[in-house]
Amino acid sequence: MGKTLFEKVWDSHTVVAKPTGPSLIYVDRHLIHEVTSPQAFDGLRMNHRMVRRPDLTIATVDHNVPTNNRSLPILDQTSAVQVQTLEKNCRDFGIRLFDINSPNQGIVHVIGPQLGITLPGTTIVCGDSHTSTHGAFGALALGIGTSEVEHVLASQTLWLEKPKPFEIRIEGKRRDPCAVTAKDIVLSIIKNIGTGGGTGTVVEYRGQGITDLSMEQRMTICNMSIEAGARAGLIAPDEKTFDYLRDRQYTPKNYDLLVESWKEHLKSDNDSKFEKQFTLHIGDIAPQVSWGTSPEMTCDVTDSVPSPDDFAKGDDNQKKGAQKALDYMDLKPGTPITDIRIDRVFIGSCTNARLEDLIEASRVVKGQKISPNVRAMVVPGSQMVKQQAEEMGLDKIFTDARFEWRESGCSMCLGMNPDILAPGERCASTSNRNFEGRQGTGGRTHLVSPVMAAAAAIEGHFVDVRDWI
Amino acid sequence: MKGNVIKYEIDNIDTDVIIPGQYLKVHDYAELATHAMEGLDPHFHSKVKSGDFVLAGKNFGCGSSREHAPIALSCSGVKAVLALSFARIFYRNSVDGAFLLPIEIEEHAYKSISEGDELDIDISANQIRNNTKNQTYKMKPFSEIIGKIIAAGGLFKYKPEQD
Repeated sequence: MGKTLFEKVWDSHTVVAKPTGPSLIYVDRHLIHEVTSPQAFDGLRMNHRMVRRPDLTIATVDHNVPTNNRSLPILDQTSAVQVQTLEKNCRDFGIRLFDINSPNQGIVHVIGPQLGITLPGTTIVCGDSHTSTHGAFGALALGIGTSEVEHVLASQTLWLEKPKPFEIRIEGKRRDPCAVTAKDIVLSIIKNIGTGGGTGTVVEYRGQGITDLSMEQRMTICNMSIEAGARAGLIAPDEKTFDYLRDRQYTPKNYDLLVESWKEHLKSDNDSKFEKQFTLHIGDIAPQVSWGTSPEMTCDVTDSVPSPDDFAKGDDNQKKGAQKALDYMDLKPGTPITDIRIDRVFIGSCTNARLEDLIEASRVVKGQKISPNVRAMVVPGSQMVKQQAEEMGLDKIFTDARFEWRESGCSMCLGMNPDILAPGERCASTSNRNFEGRQGTGGRTHLVSPVMAAAAAIEGHFVDVRDWI
Repeated sequence: MKGNVIKYEIDNIDTDVIIPGQYLKVHDYAELATHAMEGLDPHFHSKVKSGDFVLAGKNFGCGSSREHAPIALSCSGVKAVLALSFARIFYRNSVDGAFLLPIEIEEHAYKSISEGDELDIDISANQIRNNTKNQTYKMKPFSEIIGKIIAAGGLFKYKPEQD
């Protein structure tokens, strides 16, 4: 029997395998950041261990860095300490760091591909659940916890149980690709299979709906694999993948040879077997807006907020969860999604802060002004994205419309830096999680695409962007 | 392992409510513990006792990879989380650092165990005894690697060459 792409990458990185039980997997790239690494370095020091492969370990600061003026010191003392601790750890252990003033600084999952550090067929780990993003390049990319970060620092390997391959086919063509984006596709998948739908699996996204997407759009899809509970998500590399990575700062010198080998090996065999399958037809899917406090609590922009009974379909826990979500979100069943008024707009995060995302949003914003009741910000995914956008004049389009134009970082996606919602504030956000308190205590998050976020900023409420653009 | 149950009858309890993002800068575990479950239940810290178990529905610990989530629960005194299912990163984090035991239970056990019930968990027999209700339930056995990491007392004490 043939192998799936995931199984090929897994097998080619297996150091020790047992017929039943765990495998020791070699790690090609280890990305680290300031929040989940300090205890791991403490552990190394305590046990007198070195970093096994500092040359394969890459660090940046993203989670808690301020996104305003970078020439000023970090005011929040605890954030400043975390950033300084990473700087010291990288110095002590000889690890390459893109620090707060580096032109390569940015969200770890944005800079990896941009710098050519992310490569097809590799294994990539990071102490961050959205590491799944790198799967868009045909890498097996896993989010891990701090103990595992320490294990990888010390040994460049991880003990893992083999997940099961899960095929998600995206079929058809979007009728209006300007208004219905990769974000709407992935939110539709999660709405259908649920936040536990991918538990214990590695998803391979396949089908015309995937091959039609650009690399940046594919990253948006793989990024949210974790929101469906999957261990990772990946896509077989193709010409778009190879073109994207060519001539990046850290692209290997023997790139053309590598591409030949990737073309031959990095695809699922025709006779390979997936343990689970799901197909989404995207011919007539609508723009998506989340209404609750879990990414599966999502509906079409043309729908109304569901009642807990309609959402739960007979499941008690789901009903309780939906009621709790409606209370937290201060929404009543039957309210049309387009009637929901917003206070804030956040265009950013590892899901949707790449150059294409900003270009798409800027087309909506151009020549308009945001609603007087809305405060909106754009936080580019990396300093490189910021610079490219500025060269195209996108910053001017956004600031003319009264958006704030920021420095790069995770920012309002997870409320660790000063960019947070006030209690009760409602936000149209291009990020990946609408959990209670995620963007600040009492803050209310609606997950949407950059196009929808931009349109909502201007109108002050959600709109069917298919009619609006 | 004996303790009392704190029950949350919902699915998808995420790591952002177990330990909200603003506390990921806190390195003092005792302080971290005071914020455990703060996003879901502001009274958790005042009611949790050392040795307690948390019981919840499906997909416990979904979301962020923050190891601070099992650490905060563990430092609050929680010895095990019983749930219908777990998100994988939380599950591994719980055992890697020997913070707490993530125990998967069956639907009937989830329904029959109430808030405050006293449980006696015997992982060697994969059995949960409810002393309050005088009932016994099966727990889902740990996989080979998880069982070994737990037995060793964490990922760094696990020595595969001794297998």
